[in-house]
Amino acid sequence: MKKVITGDHAVALGAKLCRVDVVPAYPITPQTLIIEHIADFVNDGEMDAKFLTMESEHSVMSAAAAASAAGARVFTATSSQGLAFMYEMLYATAPMRLPIVMANANRTLAAPPGIWCEYNDSMGVRDSGWLQVYVEDNQEALDMVIQSFRIAEDKRVLLPVMPCLDGFVLTHTVEPVDVPQQEDVDSFLSPYAPDIMLDPARPTMIGIFMPAEYIMELRRQTMGAVESAKKVIGEINDEFAKVFGRNYGGMIDTYMMEDAEVALVTMGTVTSTSREVVDELRKVGKKVGLVKLRFFRPFPVDELRKALSGVSAVGVFDRSISYHGGGPAFNEIQSALYGMTMPVVNHLAGIGGRDVTREQIIKMFEITIKAGKGEKVNTINWHNTRGETV
Amino acid sequence: MFEVRFHGRGGQGAVMAAQALAEAAVIEGNYAVAFPFFGAERRGAPVLAFTRIDAKKIYSKTQVYSPDCVVVLDDSLLDTIDVVAGLKPGGSVVINSRDKPEDIDLGISVKTAAVDATSVALEILKAPITNTAILGAFAKATGIIKLESLEEAIKRRFGEKLGEKVAERNSLAARTAYGKTVIGKSKGIKKLEPKKQWLPTYQELPAGGSLVEGKTDAGLIGPGSFIENKVMGWATFRPVRDREKCTMCLLCWFYCPEGTIVRISDRGDLMTNYDYCKGCGVCANECPVDAIKMVRARV
Amino acid sequence: MITIKDLPDENLFTAGHTACPGCGVAMSIRNAIRVLGKDTSVYVPASCAVVFGTTFPYGAWKVPFFHTAFENTGACLTGMQAAFEKKGKKVTAVGFAGDGGTYDIGLQSMSGAAERNDDVIYICLDNEAYMNTGIQRSGGTPFGAWTTTTPVGTKVQGNRRFKKNLGEIVTAHEIPYYATLSIGHPLDFIRKVEKAKNIKGFRFLHMFTPCIPGWKMDPAKTVEVTKRAVESGMWTLYEVENGEKKITYKPGKMKSVRDYLMMQGRFRHMSDEDIKKLQMWVCKKWNLYYKEKGSPEICEIAPPEEHHAVTEEHREMHGP
Repeated sequence: MKKVITGDHAVALGAKLCRVDVVPAYPITPQTLIIEHIADFVNDGEMDAKFLTMESEHSVMSAAAAASAAGARVFTATSSQGLAFMYEMLYATAPMRLPIVMANANRTLAAPPGIWCEYNDSMGVRDSGWLQVYVEDNQEALDMVIQSFRIAEDKRVLLPVMPCLDGFVLTHTVEPVDVPQQEDVDSFLSPYAPDIMLDPARPTMIGIFMPAEYIMELRRQTMGAVESAKKVIGEINDEFAKVFGRNYGGMIDTYMMEDAEVALVTMGTVTSTSREVVDELRKVGKKVGLVKLRFFRPFPVDELRKALSGVSAVGVFDRSISYHGGGPAFNEIQSALYGMTMPVVNHLAGIGGRDVTREQIIKMFEITIKAGKGEKVNTINWHNTRGETV
Repeated sequence: MFEVRFHGRGGQGAVMAAQALAEAAVIEGNYAVAFPFFGAERRGAPVLAFTRIDAKKIYSKTQVYSPDCVVVLDDSLLDTIDVVAGLKPGGSVVINSRDKPEDIDLGISVKTAAVDATSVALEILKAPITNTAILGAFAKATGIIKLESLEEAIKRRFGEKLGEKVAERNSLAARTAYGKTVIGKSKGIKKLEPKKQWLPTYQELPAGGSLVEGKTDAGLIGPGSFIENKVMGWATFRPVRDREKCTMCLLCWFYCPEGTIVRISDRGDLMTNYDYCKGCGVCANECPVDAIKMVRARV
Repeated sequence: MITIKDLPDENLFTAGHTACPGCGVAMSIRNAIRVLGKDTSVYVPASCAVVFGTTFPYGAWKVPFFHTAFENTGACLTGMQAAFEKKGKKVTAVGFAGDGGTYDIGLQSMSGAAERNDDVIYICLDNEAYMNTGIQRSGGTPFGAWTTTTPVGTKVQGNRRFKKNLGEIVTAHEIPYYATLSIGHPLDFIRKVEKAKNIKGFRFLHMFTPCIPGWKMDPAKTVEVTKRAVESGMWTLYEVENGEKKITYKPGKMKSVRDYLMMQGRFRHMSDEDIKKLQMWVCKKWNLYYKEKGSPEICEIAPPEEHHAVTEEHREMHGP
């Protein structure tokens, strides 16, 4: 059934279709529509979940952790300052292996205060152990909520997952979304049945104070779970494609990469616009292609090396800055491509919610093409930034 | 470089002893560092502290694995911990014990200095805090440090924190213990079975470290498994109940923070399981008919 | 009503835990869980109780145990209870938080759970300072007390503020049940835990739990000191059920606060003037709770003209 809805509405419908048990909630723009929709579903009797109006995001993630540990399927959503306020609890939930799913509406993290899209909120928690996937349209937002629960609850993974959608660009934009049938989702996603949970019938200790003799093994184990997620993500992507007819490519997606000489790596909605730019550039004879970085954790090292093996230069789009130079995606891709010889350049754009235009994306390709030809270009390029020249 | 490892229990002042020793070494013109093994120990639980002394600056920041001297503030630790582990050839042990060195079985025959530091501490400090007394014994046993430097260091460190009077008393405790220390050789008969520890690989570790009741080669783990943690070594005193006087009011059973007083004989009588008694004395203090007396736990 | 004899033998918080000898918290936990029984799921925020009750891979709890952080006892209880309700399980979520975790850093989270009237039991183990980190002042630290962050200096001696009135804050949420407890009053203690167990909604049990190293006292005196706290008026045993306040134990003739203070090293430095100030605070409290003036020989001191918070420093800054 096609519905013309916002990204937030799509996410809320995804959570409803997953029959989540507990939703602790706290408002923050531009995520608030998600929890408002869920509140509506619950109060209208369409959704059988415990909707908890918490008094802060820290408490949201605390309640989520406790409910998950007690055996419930838990969903929530947040953004920016809210995610930052949860920081401590993100680090608590992942190594405890609690498969919570939380949508993050990407928004600039103050200072300065702002409400528009930037990735410095979710990038700041990339080492918490949460898996992160960045989506480019409302359909993918809904579908990834469903896939996220499958990935999170897979016994080989058991990690929380954070589907990230661009604040406003998706959260408040309406577009047609094919809403899956409940029975299809039910057969795709079984009820959550953890091996261990807080239950007096079989007492458990979860979150035990740990001496140094054990913590290193626990970290290694968590790393192992993140690694295993790569395979699981691929399997679930393929299964989802079979059932619902939509294939997102798993860890990454590629566009026109078969014969591409130059590639741009993008995330989120900029990918969507870039698809049209690639078509445009192809029409004028430029052999360019697109790699969509979907999962940031686990990081698709092998997938990127394979997809980018034939190009003469790589441009990397970043929507946030890591204060040692370029953006986080650029830094990690440079590291992933270690030993490969093509130049890698960074394109910083859209920070603070500034619109990323087709012209800017064309510019990104042009700079990357130049780099591929051996011409001198800046390694880090601040697009559409007063005082900078690109 | 001279390395010392202190074995004590939380509250006995092992860390303070290690620091005072370092300070004394510095007073004598040496370089010294002292540091605890940072645990989250409560009073009575085994703790470790270390001191390194050298003529030049010490760079090593690791724990001490092959000490020149081991200081044991509480001989009840000998039952569970291999205190002489890694001791350098020719090294020595300084131990708080009522026994003579010849009667102390350390598993190896080694130069041993013994002093009843608990009695010294109880007499002079009115509390079983044995750190300063044992330092007196250390000075006598090793000759590494002069008693005067030690007393000066104790006065500095304790005076700063606890005032002159306390510092003076602690200094006296060190001096008294110095005089009472007996030096000899320990017995080397028993084979110390160090307490087994469950050390799973990362693959064996349950996901997220969450535990249900379980059994490993090293004993129980998970909910309720502390029951295998015998804490009698923590006790300086222990309660003895006069059954004739006891009225079975159950107040001691209720108050005992350990839960080590149990109802037996179809609830008609009580028994104290000393395995878990830390000797707090609440039962004796609260008994309405004075049926419980506290006595020294070790003789 | 349950008496001591009726309590079950089984330790749901087993022996072999690693609390200090004479620990008031261990004593209170053991007996609370004895009354609450098996169908309980416990949350413990950062505190001594996390460490002495569980150290990987061991644990004293024989009921489900959960821990994550320091400031979130209320929220974790809410989440846990929601999961149990959704799954149709009859389990009570019970939190055991310290005074720091309740008066200070966890106040917001507790308030959220109280205001929502979530069906949980919140137990505050009040030992009047941050003991796990080594005795620092909290909002629950009494006037005059030494802590490592309110040291006895040459210029300032001990804590200069009076203990926060947590009971008023909690009961302002109009919850079904709030009670203060003392381990030195076993029947009152058992009755209140039992009562809380059988009420629906947010229940708050405020337990007075001496800390031997933190209060610098003889471990044998844990129970005695709680009794003296109640007899002197430093701690009041009462309950508030659906807004109705009831004193559950009234001491006989009021005893000077001095006897209570001198049992503990944390107060022993106090000047006569400071003891008088604290005594006046107690007299005011006595009057408020028991609706009578304390013993005339103790409470005859004329109340100060100014609010106690106005200090010399304030006057210097703001004028008289």
